[in-house]
Amino acid sequence: MSVEISNDYGKIDISNDVITQIAGGAAVECYGIVGMATKNQIRDGLTDILRKENFAKGVIVRQEADNLIIDMYVIVSYGTKISEVAYQVQSTVKYTIQKLLGLPIKAVNIHVQGVRVTNP
Amino acid sequence: MKSIDGIQFAEMVRMGAHHLHQNADYVDTLNVFPVPDGDTGTNMNLSMSSGAKETEAQTDAHIGKTAQALSKGLLMGARGNSGVILSQLFRGFGKEITNDAELSPRRLAEGLQHGVDTAYKAVMKPVEGTILTVAKDAAKKAVELADKEQDIIRLFEATVEEAKASLQRTPDLLPVLKEVGVVDSGGQGLVYVYEGFLAALKGEKLPERQDMKSMDDMVKTEHHKSVAGFMNTDEIEFGYCTEFMVKFEDGKKAFDEEAFRNDLSVYGDSLLVISDEEIAKVHVHAEEPGKVLTYGQQYGSLISMKIENMRQQHTDIVGEGHQKEAVKPAETHPYAVVTVAMGEGIAELLKSIGASTVIEGGQTMNPSTEDIVKAIQAVGAERVLILPNNKNIIMAAEQAAEVAGIEAAVVPTKNVPQGMAALLAFNPEASVENNRDAMTDAASLVKTGQVTHAVRDTSIDGIEIKKDDFMGIAESKIVIAAPELKNVAQELLRQLIDEESEIVTILYGEDSTEKAAKELAEFIGTLNDEAEVEIHHGRQPLYPYIFSIE
Repeated sequence: MSVEISNDYGKIDISNDVITQIAGGAAVECYGIVGMATKNQIRDGLTDILRKENFAKGVIVRQEADNLIIDMYVIVSYGTKISEVAYQVQSTVKYTIQKLLGLPIKAVNIHVQGVRVTNP
Repeated sequence: MKSIDGIQFAEMVRMGAHHLHQNADYVDTLNVFPVPDGDTGTNMNLSMSSGAKETEAQTDAHIGKTAQALSKGLLMGARGNSGVILSQLFRGFGKEITNDAELSPRRLAEGLQHGVDTAYKAVMKPVEGTILTVAKDAAKKAVELADKEQDIIRLFEATVEEAKASLQRTPDLLPVLKEVGVVDSGGQGLVYVYEGFLAALKGEKLPERQDMKSMDDMVKTEHHKSVAGFMNTDEIEFGYCTEFMVKFEDGKKAFDEEAFRNDLSVYGDSLLVISDEEIAKVHVHAEEPGKVLTYGQQYGSLISMKIENMRQQHTDIVGEGHQKEAVKPAETHPYAVVTVAMGEGIAELLKSIGASTVIEGGQTMNPSTEDIVKAIQAVGAERVLILPNNKNIIMAAEQAAEVAGIEAAVVPTKNVPQGMAALLAFNPEASVENNRDAMTDAASLVKTGQVTHAVRDTSIDGIEIKKDDFMGIAESKIVIAAPELKNVAQELLRQLIDEESEIVTILYGEDSTEKAAKELAEFIGTLNDEAEVEIHHGRQPLYPYIFSIE
């Protein structure tokens, strides 16, 4: 699946992978996020943090009418205020995608799949 | 001073929070990363106040307990990225010293370092050039000095110095900061907190607000924001950048900064007020600078006044061309129809039957997506329907509908008659989807005939066409080509009009005349004497005739 933009000169296809990478990349730079998690932790048998190559398992991009909806599955650091961290991811992902791709975003849904406790 | 206890630490926190609070607006103006939304100062202030509030309830002299209270208050009140980072810094700090009743310089340094370690652990990819870097550099300095420095004030002094130096280096680490010419907002917030800590340690009072020097920085960022915020000169609501100082005088109204600020905020925006006992410096974008000055005079005499016309400046910046393009938004309509057409006559006709905006364009001069988006935005409606009236523009229109930022839909009309039929089916009460469907249906019921010139010799659909011939096009199929305009028009009408035809509209273009159009109307009477004929001067180029048959 991909998102298509047309302009005077022709068409631009942006594959979902690209959106996934950008959203995932923006999210992992957010403070309090220790990594991306897979949507189906049990089925995929991965309780670990996803590497960049499999961000697609933790970032689901849907297109509804003309808008993008992004679902993100994240692991948050223990001891941070989760609602704030999630809010930061939402605003950063939305901002970054609009800045880089110029695509309208309808929603960025954050699913906190885990909390990582690091011994401080 | 050899050590600090919980009571002293609570005072440090209170002072840190107060100093940050005083400068929160300035921190907001620096906020460009990660999202330039200008709320870092506000968020950090709310986080830190929540932390300080928690320590107030804590009257124990045990510093470990006070630090725990701070940590808890910060966690609960954490707002925004920087707020969360701040809470992490003091969570690690609190954890490290939880069993200490008092802090030695060595333990303070260890606490700071532990805070930084904790904060770094909570992020996968730390971005350097932010509050994290400032905290790290400061803690490192504290640890370096901890072995030889016995005085906690001197140790913390050096720590704050390093934090400030690190803050000045942030633009070198984070390119976006360099681009805008600011230091990191979160880092600046942390420096304010640390400065407050230090002042409390020394028993000093901090200046209530930043000194006059930073007013210039604030004005610079305010201007930067306001220039970036306006695409059109017309959008500037408050046209005069007004700056002045009031020198307070005895016998005049007593100065109260908050009331002063509130009163001035009525006159405009981008308001900045900095004051001390003798003077207040004011910057405001107002529409009526005279009133602002008169207001200021209640408090004393005015000095160093400067008023600039920002609309003039903005016009100079964006240039003449942009001025011309800028379409003044009409009063807001709930609904608008944006359409595309060639020729003034057609544009007028479309407007007379309900189009809000007609974009100049058509065959050979298609408007871009951007042109359409601009037109949509300029019309100032909540919902928009777009009629491209040309099959080459449908894609651009659909793209424009997507990015316009308001509810918009495209009725895929391929020519002007379809556009007119669609317009007549428009229902301002119906939803965008219902209108799109109804208008698309209406457009499909109209038959279209167009007469134009051939630009070269060719053969299409089995018809030989010579350069400069007239071609008759029924819908999108060429049905006749001949050198005589009248013959072509008549033959085209003959093919289009049948017994069911009720209304025939003739739009004659630049290359035809009213007289010729009337002759065609008579000819239509011979084909179907019940059909009603309407004639309009479309003034369209390239197409001597456009026919619409319903």
